[in-house]
Amino acid sequence: MNTNAIPAQTPAVSASNVAMQFSDLMAVKDANFELENGRFLTILGPSGSGKTTLLRMIAGFLKPTQGQIFINGKEVNAVAPNKRSVGMVFQKLALFPHMTAAQNVAFPLKMRRFDAKKIPARVLEFLNLVRLDGLENRRMNELSGGQQQRVAIARALVFEPDLLLLDEPLAALDRKLREEMQLEFRRIQKELGVTTINVTHDQREALVVSDQIIVMDNGEIQQDASPTQMYRTPHNPFVANFIGVTNLFDGKLMSASAEGAEVHVGDLTLSGILRSSSDASVLGSQARCAVRAEQIRIAAAPDALGTLDLTFQGVVKDVIFEGERLLYELSVPELGDEPVRIFHHDQNDFATHDVGETVHIGWMNRDLHIFVAS
Amino acid sequence: MQRSPSSYPIIWRVMDVLETTFAAVWPKGGGKFTPYLMLTPAIVLVGTLVVGLLYIGDSSLRVLDRSTFLFSDYWTLDNYIRALSEPFIFTVVWRSLLGAVIVTIVTLMLAFPYAYIMVRTPSSFVRKFLLIALFLPFFIGQVVRAYGWLIILGNQGIVNDVLGLVGVEPLRLLFNYPAVLFGLVQYMLPFGVLMLAPALTAIPEEIEAASGSLGASWVKTMTHIVLPMAKPGLIGAGLVVLTLSLTDFAMPAILGGGTQDFIANAIYDQFFRTSDQGFGSTLALLLIALGSILVGIIFAVFGAGTLALDGSRK
Repeated sequence: MNTNAIPAQTPAVSASNVAMQFSDLMAVKDANFELENGRFLTILGPSGSGKTTLLRMIAGFLKPTQGQIFINGKEVNAVAPNKRSVGMVFQKLALFPHMTAAQNVAFPLKMRRFDAKKIPARVLEFLNLVRLDGLENRRMNELSGGQQQRVAIARALVFEPDLLLLDEPLAALDRKLREEMQLEFRRIQKELGVTTINVTHDQREALVVSDQIIVMDNGEIQQDASPTQMYRTPHNPFVANFIGVTNLFDGKLMSASAEGAEVHVGDLTLSGILRSSSDASVLGSQARCAVRAEQIRIAAAPDALGTLDLTFQGVVKDVIFEGERLLYELSVPELGDEPVRIFHHDQNDFATHDVGETVHIGWMNRDLHIFVAS
Repeated sequence: MQRSPSSYPIIWRVMDVLETTFAAVWPKGGGKFTPYLMLTPAIVLVGTLVVGLLYIGDSSLRVLDRSTFLFSDYWTLDNYIRALSEPFIFTVVWRSLLGAVIVTIVTLMLAFPYAYIMVRTPSSFVRKFLLIALFLPFFIGQVVRAYGWLIILGNQGIVNDVLGLVGVEPLRLLFNYPAVLFGLVQYMLPFGVLMLAPALTAIPEEIEAASGSLGASWVKTMTHIVLPMAKPGLIGAGLVVLTLSLTDFAMPAILGGGTQDFIANAIYDQFFRTSDQGFGSTLALLLIALGSILVGIIFAVFGAGTLALDGSRK
């Protein structure tokens, strides 16, 4: 990569007030972000959130109706896809069925007028990188799903683009292969140091592969943070709910300070940490509290819970065995009608509680996120 | 959740009755013969053609005695020798063959962009317009269309009227070779487009986007990706247009005005003008051989696999 040519402070990709308006739909609204050179960004969101539209604008297939996109500091709004230095792995891979693996990988080199003598060696080098050595003469229908993925990656990277874009290429794979390919993407990305933007609706994939995550919903960027920040300090209820399994309780904000805030939920007062910007938080306004399913402890007796800030009694409504953990759904009258969801991970004793059993649950105040509707 | 049968949609009940009737009528265990049974009408149809061909083969081996107007009761190759040695027949065959090839090439060149735009346009209005424009000529029929061209291209036709306004002497636009080819291209275009459209639909738009993002210009995407991937459709469309043009009768008859006969016209003349059924049959077999050889060459060059006939394409 031409890392040396770029001043360190220039982001590899940035978007400034980017919007995309389809005839009657605002697919992307006022998107702003920056991505540092060599980093792996994942745009995460449900379908229809505008994440693919944003990616297609960066690739050059769509022209933003507003705002600017910069690649290495240069505005690229009017630059055609074939004039951008962007490699893309497509959702359905879009491999050329009438060519062999090697011809597919050689295609961008030929189109970008690389030195013809160096092309075969370069193609082999990249087929080795994706561990496809020996399969260069296979046609696409003679390769397995995972091998096709690898051809698509090699083809997108072989011309050493400034930017690699991944448009949910793993969505159609089965879970085991998908997880294997996620790590493979990560390995190749680290090995080449290529700046990468990945689009997915799979929150686990986003957490596993990324240096930076942007969560989108309804065409708007909800949060732009590192995976750990995103997980630990969600900015709003949508992010809290979309990443991980989260319990939400609605109430009224009673007090707010840097140390903590209090919310009245029914007759209860819940204490936690305010995640919304404090100037928007007017006392008495609507507030939502969020606790992750794995932050709630569960036990048959109150003293088995350990030290907790707040405890309740509840009745087990459902137990779902998920292999490495159990998911409990509890009815806790004090916390409203919605079932409270709890993950139980205890390796030593998988002491299961039966449906109908009365159990004790509780959490620490630092694990309760409070959001105020602005 | 039990619902009374009468509350089901009427079409379900009709289907139920049909299925019950069918199950009662159809012999049990006849399931594995069903596909063959469904083939029989087609086999009978083709079989009848083969019988007809045998008769034609027989007639082609008998010469007409012009004094008695009876056919010889022995077999002879005289008709074949005559067909291969008569300059007029050579001219007609060459004219048909060259015409069919030219018409095929021109039709494919015109049909490809038409089909591509029809398949790729984001506007449903444009797509509908192109589809209707494509199907309308089918409703009109070949003979009526050919007469339409007579009116337009005739000496007192619209084209010559317009040319007359700018001071051009009336041109002879009809009853020549270009007129026949023009009419044939116009007649074949819908066939070409209809054969090409599914082949182009089968190419995902994402493939073209990928080609662009990999650095290919629009032209290179067409030549390196779209055209090779559309090859089965191009060959299929080419075969249909080629064989239909080679065997066409109406366009050479009407737009050629008897001066631009194709093989089919020569055969017609033998059967219905000179009543030489023997020589007519010989020419008919010659036409079949010519068409088969052409199709055979195309298969040999491109392989039957390109037409997705080898079953390996998913």
